[in-house]
Amino acid sequence: MTAITPNQVAVARPGRLRSIGRGLQTFARRSPLSAFWGVIAALIVAMAVAAPAITPYPPLKSDFRAMQKPPSEAHWFGTDQIGRDTLSRVIHGSRTSLMVALGAVLFGTTLGALWGLACGYFGGRFDMISQRLIEFLQSFPDLILAMAIAMALGGGLGTVIVAIAITRIPFGGRVIRSVVLSLKEMQYVEAARGIGASHARLMFRHILPQCVAPYLILATTHLGVAIVIEASLGFLGVGIPPPTPTWGNMLADALNSGLVPPWWLVFFPGAAITLTVLAFNLLGDGIRDLLDPKLRGSV
Amino acid sequence: MYSYIARRLAFGALTVVGVSLMVFVIMRILPGDPLAAIFGPEGLTKLTEEQRANYMRELGLSDPLWVQYVRWVGDIINGNFGRSFFRSESVAEMILRRGPLTAEIALISVVLSWLVGIPVAIISALRPNTIADSAARFLSILFLAVPGFWIGMLIVLALLFWFGYRAPMAGVGFFTDPIGNLQLVIGPAVVLGLGQAAYIARMGRSSLLEVIREDYVRTARAKGLNSRLVIALHALPNALLPVITLSGVLLGLVLAGSIPVERAFGTPGLGNSMFQAVSERDIFVMQNLVFLYAVVFVVLNILVDIAIAFIDPRIRLR
Repeated sequence: MTAITPNQVAVARPGRLRSIGRGLQTFARRSPLSAFWGVIAALIVAMAVAAPAITPYPPLKSDFRAMQKPPSEAHWFGTDQIGRDTLSRVIHGSRTSLMVALGAVLFGTTLGALWGLACGYFGGRFDMISQRLIEFLQSFPDLILAMAIAMALGGGLGTVIVAIAITRIPFGGRVIRSVVLSLKEMQYVEAARGIGASHARLMFRHILPQCVAPYLILATTHLGVAIVIEASLGFLGVGIPPPTPTWGNMLADALNSGLVPPWWLVFFPGAAITLTVLAFNLLGDGIRDLLDPKLRGSV
Repeated sequence: MYSYIARRLAFGALTVVGVSLMVFVIMRILPGDPLAAIFGPEGLTKLTEEQRANYMRELGLSDPLWVQYVRWVGDIINGNFGRSFFRSESVAEMILRRGPLTAEIALISVVLSWLVGIPVAIISALRPNTIADSAARFLSILFLAVPGFWIGMLIVLALLFWFGYRAPMAGVGFFTDPIGNLQLVIGPAVVLGLGQAAYIARMGRSSLLEVIREDYVRTARAKGLNSRLVIALHALPNALLPVITLSGVLLGLVLAGSIPVERAFGTPGLGNSMFQAVSERDIFVMQNLVFLYAVVFVVLNILVDIAIAFIDPRIRLR
């Protein structure tokens, strides 16, 4: 088997692709505002992927003739203390931010969700011990737990992802567990059990598909939370170390640059964080309204 | 009621033990080599074998792990929080000196979050889908997204730029110098308070919308009660119950959020010492501070649970 290109997939499953397209259309029609923010989120992701191609300057290159210059035609977002272009650094910062957020959600929220699935399904002593463990994890404010883990493991991309992922586990565990608890009593699950389906089959074939909607809602919200935690870690100096540009360590650099940090070094990285988190949160809201009308408007 | 409180306290004690184990695992076992966390990977390679062994012995790191754990717990029970490598002041003294400032910030921010969040929730819920509601909802979702420490930096910059004003640097108590103290505290408290208010407004709105549709509220209206009184006396008390729980959970946001926010404002509170401990790689101070924050969070949430049990008989009698 060679690698399958997207084209082949499209040829193999035209129905699937069309139904995704139709789903997106419904989404756009039902909540145009969320669709708009979805597009913004997609643009940010595209910006991160294409960063090396679209940045006007290399993010690490100093220009000693243009140090700490306010925004101008040559440098739209100005330059920092050693003459690096802020716009290029902000664009490159989106890569780290999104990579960390995606990694943390993929590992943390997913692991938590699977754990919750097992807890809800098996119940009993396993569930009881797991719930206590989750409670211990939730006794730490998110950022403090992430700080402690990142500090213990030493800074770096991998450790920051692990640190944030661990703070996401309890939420996935709690939410999915409660969903599974109610699903377990449903008649169709009972029927499947009645005809002798195995535990694995019941869990993954019958219960898991029903958990996808709450998981998606949780995951999009967690993307936003993870981005804020990553930025805070960078700001506090336990995130990804310089010179790799991240929005958090750019803000820390600005604060350390002297008594009065130049406004453009403060404004743009923070605005990037806000815009990205806002886009993911509003997209998450839209997905929730679409998938689960019962939850509409709740936190 | 008493059995409920007793049960809650017992679980709380168990949680504190679990939390202490977790802190120990994270700060002492996870790094593999604690000296690597203290000196950094580069500093570690510069140490000779002998120096390394000496440090390990001096810091009590060469004992078996369970001995280290028991000694740490014993120290904490005796109120001995150790001292930093870098300052003469002991950690216990530092907590006593700086803690009140952070506690003040937390208290003011919680009060502020209710003063802002609840009225916004009421306006939103009474006139859903109007311009006021949409504006309130957008603002609250915006404040969920804005990092507090960034707003803090912008406020500091703006005050400096337009008014040439900078908050004093020295930590002063409320009772010795109330005005100087408020100048220190108000910035972080407003930033953290608005952050929480956003959550409270969202939760309060949906909770109030749900309660307003209930039968007993319709009955109150039908018997001719003034609609303001219906909201204030009948709907609001029930709608606020989940908001109180949320407020307890949000304390975690305040405790953790105060670290970067205090850093942004340069407030000399406990959050700032946490930042210092992190940047100096002082794992022993960090270990104690993380444990302290977690215990404070657990205790506050127990208090919130007990308060709710007092207010809401449905929980008490369950």
